[in-house]
Order: sequence, then C-alpha cells, then structure tokens
Amino acid sequence: MALENILILAAASLLWATTFRNHGRTWFMLIASVVVIFWLQPALPIRGADFFTPVATLVLVVLTWFITTDDETRKQRKNIIILAIVAGVVLLLNLTRFVPQLQLFTASRPPQLETTLLVFLITGLTLIALSRLTRFSASILTVGLVLTIGLFLLIKIPALSLLLSSFLRTLSGQSLTNVSINDFRWMGFSYVAFRLIHTIRDKQSGRFPSVDVGEFITYVIFFPAFTAGPIDRLERFIKDLRAPFAGLTLEAFYSAGQRLLLGLFKKFVIADALALIALNDTNATQVTSTFWMWVIVYAYAFQIYFDFSGYTDIALGIAQLLGIKLPENFASPYLKPNLTQFWNNWHMTLTQWFRAYFFNPITRWLRSWQKPMSIPMMILLTQVATMLLIGFWHGVTWNFTLWGLWHGLGLFIHNRWNDATKAKSAAWATSPTKLAILNVSGILFTFHFVAIGWIFFALSSPITSWQVILKLFGVQ
Amino acid sequence: MTTEIITPIAKFIAEKILKQPSKVISADEALISSGLIDSFSLMDLALFIEDTFGVRVEDTELNAETFDNLEQLASLIASRK
Repeated sequence: MALENILILAAASLLWATTFRNHGRTWFMLIASVVVIFWLQPALPIRGADFFTPVATLVLVVLTWFITTDDETRKQRKNIIILAIVAGVVLLLNLTRFVPQLQLFTASRPPQLETTLLVFLITGLTLIALSRLTRFSASILTVGLVLTIGLFLLIKIPALSLLLSSFLRTLSGQSLTNVSINDFRWMGFSYVAFRLIHTIRDKQSGRFPSVDVGEFITYVIFFPAFTAGPIDRLERFIKDLRAPFAGLTLEAFYSAGQRLLLGLFKKFVIADALALIALNDTNATQVTSTFWMWVIVYAYAFQIYFDFSGYTDIALGIAQLLGIKLPENFASPYLKPNLTQFWNNWHMTLTQWFRAYFFNPITRWLRSWQKPMSIPMMILLTQVATMLLIGFWHGVTWNFTLWGLWHGLGLFIHNRWNDATKAKSAAWATSPTKLAILNVSGILFTFHFVAIGWIFFALSSPITSWQVILKLFGVQ
Repeated sequence: MTTEIITPIAKFIAEKILKQPSKVISADEALISSGLIDSFSLMDLALFIEDTFGVRVEDTELNAETFDNLEQLASLIASRK
C-alpha cells in the first residue's frame, strides 16, 4: 500500500466509525474491502488481467465459503442478497469503463461487461452444480484444498507462471513475444490462499464456525490486512466482527492513532531512509570494503524489520478504528536470545500457521510410526521442511530455498545445542550478571545469524550472495 | 482435580523436556510465550497428555493463545475429560 492508499483508507475508516458507529459497519468493511482489492491491484500487461485478478480472488473466496459452510447457513436468504450486492459493486467498477473520470479504483480501463457477466454466470452455475452434489463435504474439501495449493504453486513457480502468462496472453489475443514471469502479479494472493487453506483444514477437523458469505469475504480480504497480513484466524476475527461496536471511544481513537502513526513513521521514514543504503542486487556487486558491506547488510536487516512491522502497525491501527483487533505479527524479534525465539516473534501469524497446519501434523505423524526415527533426525527433517516451505511461500527460487535451508539448519543446530548445554548453562548462570552475559551474547549471535540469512532473501542470485558473505568475513 | 492434572504434567516437563528434574514449574508460569517449551517438545507434551489423560489436543491448539501455563492447560484437559 502506498502512503496515499493508507491515508485515504484510514480517513474513510475514521469517518465511518465516528459518523455511523455500528450502523452498517460490517457492510462498510465488506464493500470497502471489495473495492480495495481492485484499487490495490497493480496494472498488468495482459489485457483485462488487472480487473479479472481481483474478480478471481472473490470467486475463489465465495467457492471456498460454499464448500466449507454448513447446509443450514448456506441456505439462508441473506447470502443471496450479500452476493448480489458484491456482484453489483464489481459491475459498478466494471461500468466505469464508460466514464474515464470515474476510473479511480482500477489500474487500467476495465474490460467489456460481457466477460464479467460470463464469469458471474459460470460461478453461479458452479455453485448450483456443487449444491446438487450428493456426499458433499469430505471429498470436495480435499479437491478445494488441492486446487488452492495448485493455484498457489502456479503463481509462485516461475516456470509455471510463465506458462500461465502465455495461456492468458493467448486467451486475450495478445502476442507471446513479450511474455515474462513478471506478467502476472496477483495482489494479496499469498495471504488469501493461506486464509483459505486454514479454513478448509479447520473445516476438515470439524472446527469451523458458521459464518455468512459476507463475513467470510470480509475475513479473507479485510482491507487493512489484505496486502501484508497479519493472517488472522476466522474464529477470532468473527468474534470482533460480531461484537457490538458503540462507536469509537476516545481511548480507542488514541491507541489506534498512535499505532497508525508509529507504523507510518517506521515504514515511510525509517525503512524508506534505510532503503537508500540497504543491500540490493546493484550495491552488492559495487561495495568493495568489508566495513561498508556490513553497513549495507545491517541496513537491510533493519529496513526489512521496520518496513514489515510498520505495515503491521498500520494494519492494526486502521482495523482498530473499526473495532477489529488483528493479531500481533512482531514482538521485538531482534532482541531474542536464540533463533527459535526469533521465529516465535517474527511474522508470528505466518509461523503459527505453518506450525498448526504443517509442522505439528508432520511431527505427530512421524511420532506415530511403529519404529520411529531418531529424535535428532526427526527434528532435522521437520525444521528444514517447514523453513523451506516458508521460503517457498515468498517465491520458489534458489535464493529463497537457500534462505529456508539456512534457517531450517539453524533451528536444528540450535535445538541440538540447547539440548546438550541446557543443564550446564542453567548450572553456570546462577547470578544476574551471568544470566545477562548469556542473554546479550545470545541476542548478538542470533541477530547476526538472521542478518546473514537476509543476504539470500535480499538478492536474487546465489553466487552474488556467496560473494557478499565472503566479503563480510574479509575472505575476498 | 486440577492438582491431579498439573502434577504429572509439571513432572514430565521438568524431567523429559527441560532435563532439570529438580525444577519446580509454577501453575501460572508462561510455558510457550516464554520459549520454555519449543515447538518440537510441544508435540511431546501433546502426546503425553493424550496417553496419560486420554484427551486429544489438536495440532492447531498447540500455541500460547490456547494455553500458556499449567493452569490453563489443566482446565483445557478437565473440560474434555
């Protein structure tokens, strides 16, 4: 989100909360979120794609709601009204095609109306076909899960996204000569996919609250958290959404405003200033001294923290204006004495997601073997696999693989080290000074481990990354 | 009732997870948010609870939000027995 997007959204939320209080608050959140996903979608070189990408997000969300919700809730009439209103908003946005002055919310001129109506028709028919299915739930949930993960891979794996882009270009009658992996940027999809997978998995384990389609859409694409998280849980979000909202109290206003200002300062003052000197593909090859290499690596480590946690503060601040308390995503991660603690406090909602839906089930499964493998082997396997997946979540490239591997192995080594030295260090650190020594050296070591890991994250080539590391240690 | 649940769990955590058998864990001491129990040992704890009390703790419940100390864990177990 750019500064202007944030300021407009914060002002609109504030205005709504102070003027209308609880009247239509959930409608405001729903409609604003629908409009915002069109507004934030960047322009794409494929004709019509920047309009149909947000439409695809909505279709995907509605289909997921349809297969996860219980029969009784699904049949309620209000869902049809909500869907009609959401479709109406999309059609209004589409109609701005004919009024250039009103094309404020789409990156380029919206496509012809017929195509949108066709998409609605196909979605409607799919919903009808789904509702006629006998033996509805179990297998269809698995299909939904596989399709969501498949779509995620299609977007994230460069070779596949190139194929997708060629297909879409052919579909829209464009030439294939300029096809590129950067053709297709689906704004917010990483987060949307994770919220959808979470709801499907929870439904499979029988813990899915009954929500109407409007509540579900608002949860998945809630505009403050749409582009950069946090990844909330449906049950928690719905509790806030349904709680009576008596308007914005002065106390809540101060606290939300403070959070928002803090976020703006972190992102647009600190992070953007650090970005001028932070490690990137260009300066990585230009810097020749070890000292300056450390400076740009440190700058990157702080830039990414202030950027990301600043966005989180902004999201939490805006949401709070509307009476929604989104979960925290960062808790002083660079002040943690070991890598395990770092990951418990960095992008927490993502790591909790991976723990709940990947790490724990895999660990449980490995534990239940007749002849279980050795504990260290199990820890190595689960930690590396989890961190590799977190790497792939950011993009399926060699550098994200190396970054995931770096952290997976780091967590494994920390676990073994901790196991071997836990009793000894507890016996040694008997005074507050000794405890402080252990703590401070742990913090410094962890921070440097993470900072070196960021080199893979910031750069696009493994060779350049390796050269930067050699330079840091004065080897080259 | 609560003590009956807390005592064996506290013993298990001190002996098997922390490897400090003499350590006393109080009922309101933070276990997860403090980093005392890591994510891998958390699964050990879940399996121990399942074996000892016959109560299932779901994969999605192994977090500080669901329970962060022995007291909260004990009431979670008691509510499912």
